[in-house]
Amino acid sequence: MLKVTDLGYWYDRQANSLFEHVNLNFESGTSYAIVGQSGSGKTTFLSLLAGLDKPRAGKIEINGEPINELGLTTYRRSQVAIVFQSYNLLTYMSPLNNLMTAMAITNAKHRGDRDYARSVLRKLGLSDQQMTKNVQRLSGGQQQRVAIARTMVCDAPLVVADEPTGNLDETNTKDVIAQFQKIAHEQHKCVIIVTHEPDVAAACDHAYRLAEHQFKKEA
Amino acid sequence: MNFFKRAWLNLTAKWGRSVLLVLVTSAIMLFVLAGLLIRNAANTATSNAKKSVGATITLSANREAAFKKMRQQTTSSSNKQQRPKLTTTPVKLSDAKQIAKLKNVASYNASVSTSANAKSFDAISTSSSGGMGGQTMGGMSSNGDILISGVTATSAVTSFSNNSSKITKGRGITASDAGTNNVVIESELAKQDKLSVGDTIKLKGTTGKKTTYTMKIVGIYKAASSASTEQGPGATDPANSVYTSYTFANTVKGSKYKNTADSVTFTLSNPAKASSVTAAGKRLISTSKYSLSSDDSSYQTVKASMNNVKSFADKIVWLVAIAGTIILALIIILMVRERRYEIGVLLSLGEARWKIVAQFFAEMVMVLVVSLVLAGFGGKFVGNKLGQQLISQQTTTTATTTIGSTNQQPGGGNGQAPSGNPGGSGQPSGNQTGGSARHGHQMTKGATADQSQLNIDVTLLDLVELGGFGLAIMFLSIMIASGGILRLQPKKVLID
Repeated sequence: MLKVTDLGYWYDRQANSLFEHVNLNFESGTSYAIVGQSGSGKTTFLSLLAGLDKPRAGKIEINGEPINELGLTTYRRSQVAIVFQSYNLLTYMSPLNNLMTAMAITNAKHRGDRDYARSVLRKLGLSDQQMTKNVQRLSGGQQQRVAIARTMVCDAPLVVADEPTGNLDETNTKDVIAQFQKIAHEQHKCVIIVTHEPDVAAACDHAYRLAEHQFKKEA
Repeated sequence: MNFFKRAWLNLTAKWGRSVLLVLVTSAIMLFVLAGLLIRNAANTATSNAKKSVGATITLSANREAAFKKMRQQTTSSSNKQQRPKLTTTPVKLSDAKQIAKLKNVASYNASVSTSANAKSFDAISTSSSGGMGGQTMGGMSSNGDILISGVTATSAVTSFSNNSSKITKGRGITASDAGTNNVVIESELAKQDKLSVGDTIKLKGTTGKKTTYTMKIVGIYKAASSASTEQGPGATDPANSVYTSYTFANTVKGSKYKNTADSVTFTLSNPAKASSVTAAGKRLISTSKYSLSSDDSSYQTVKASMNNVKSFADKIVWLVAIAGTIILALIIILMVRERRYEIGVLLSLGEARWKIVAQFFAEMVMVLVVSLVLAGFGGKFVGNKLGQQLISQQTTTTATTTIGSTNQQPGGGNGQAPSGNPGGSGQPSGNQTGGSARHGHQMTKGATADQSQLNIDVTLLDLVELGGFGLAIMFLSIMIASGGILRLQPKKVLID
């Protein structure tokens, strides 16, 4: 589904590249973990997959089409949903409006369907009262669930998450990981999670470690 | 159209910030509206003032040419002992009627001045009045104690049209009085001699056969309170001034003056055309005998002062618009910097950059709509205050100018004419008995009074114009601020 070919990225000089000649394939209905030490470049790799930045070398294809030809904005709108460590919700809105806005922007199948958005939020454990509150009045775990719900209401086949459990306690972490697994297996989406937590990596179907500028599949 | 909803949600969620934005925008809009109102009111006032002050052109004898001819006769004459004689040609009414037919001439008023002696009543005498007798240059040496102003209609006389003289009883002289001996006398003279409307008085000519004329009083007028007795030889009290038809004044002057006038004043329907009407009129007359001069000074004064108001209002509008754009642009730039995170989230969701700019624009338009309503209520108040301040300054300036220019007018002469003679052109009259100079100062005073108020009303058109200005200010501000949005990289905001 997502194919990375000969991918390379560096900031100032190629000699200081974060990674080079990366070739990976990511499939639908599967969850992947990207692990590695801090500063190894795993978040940068994720930003390339998410279309937030352009690679210095190589290409990324989604369903056989290079994402730069698709246009990064269009790619982000139609093919990828992103979950961040700091949730990145629209802070002046309620959880419900966050979902409605995401559906509108991505032109999702259920665009404008408030009941659908409510049902997704309910599945993730938010009460009707919490759905209409300002998101900033929710706990970290609840906010992260809203962020996950946002990826669920969009029709994007690819979900990328950067340290989604970084700000959560153990219970919430387990809950969030379970949700990602559901997205991968029940919604048949490709889920790629960048994490430094071994438990999260272990919960995913596959894991890749970024070390010495190369990705290596973990057992 | 999702950005509209986001704009609304953002404004309602951050209502404190929204209220501040509304207040800032309202203040800017208020000043723009005040400027627009003053400018529009100044336009209207200028147009009204043009109509009210009018302009006149005056046809009279060409004294300059007459003096030149007199000097030529003196040098060529062998008899050095003979006194030089100034001969001016009275204006023929047939010439005046031709000019009256020109485009932009609304009406005309013939004026003839002469004098006669009171016979059946007593003229008011002043202690300093002497019998030195009026002008003698034209050979009309005698001067009566009653000054006769022959006019086509008193309503066309400046002192009556600007209400400095008023008909208190009966009526004024009208065009239908031509050929009659009807007279309008001054109220003090009427009181002194116990005369009232319907009574008859007798006047005795001062030249030729010294004919006695029986006059019927058709009206009594009250002269301007400012009219004062002129001192000096031949001076007479203003109460001794009477108005008759110009035909009667000609009869008193003598048969050769039939169908003539000392001067004819034409009132123009469009003051701006004074020069072109004067030029066209000059082509119809013999300029060696007559002079045709325009008096649009009142119009020019009013026009200049109202243009000052308009120009100032224009400056207010542009200054506030530019300052407003800068202020709003700075506020929006700060707002955009504060909302980098939100922009990053929207970009990560795949929102187009132009839609993010459109969201900010929609927010500002919503703020603008509320501000327009507030400015609409406050604009009239501020506009009125500013407008009155401006007008009071301009009126003071105009009044000062008027007084200055009036003092420079040719005045004096022997005897005193009723204040504000027809046309008020300051034209010296030629062969007239007890001749008097013309003072035209009242006309400008009237014009000044007309511009003492600006009609400042907030109309729908004003609000539409203000809305246009507001939108332009918002658009420019957003465009200036959106540079930051367009350059923003979501990775830098959300990940780095």
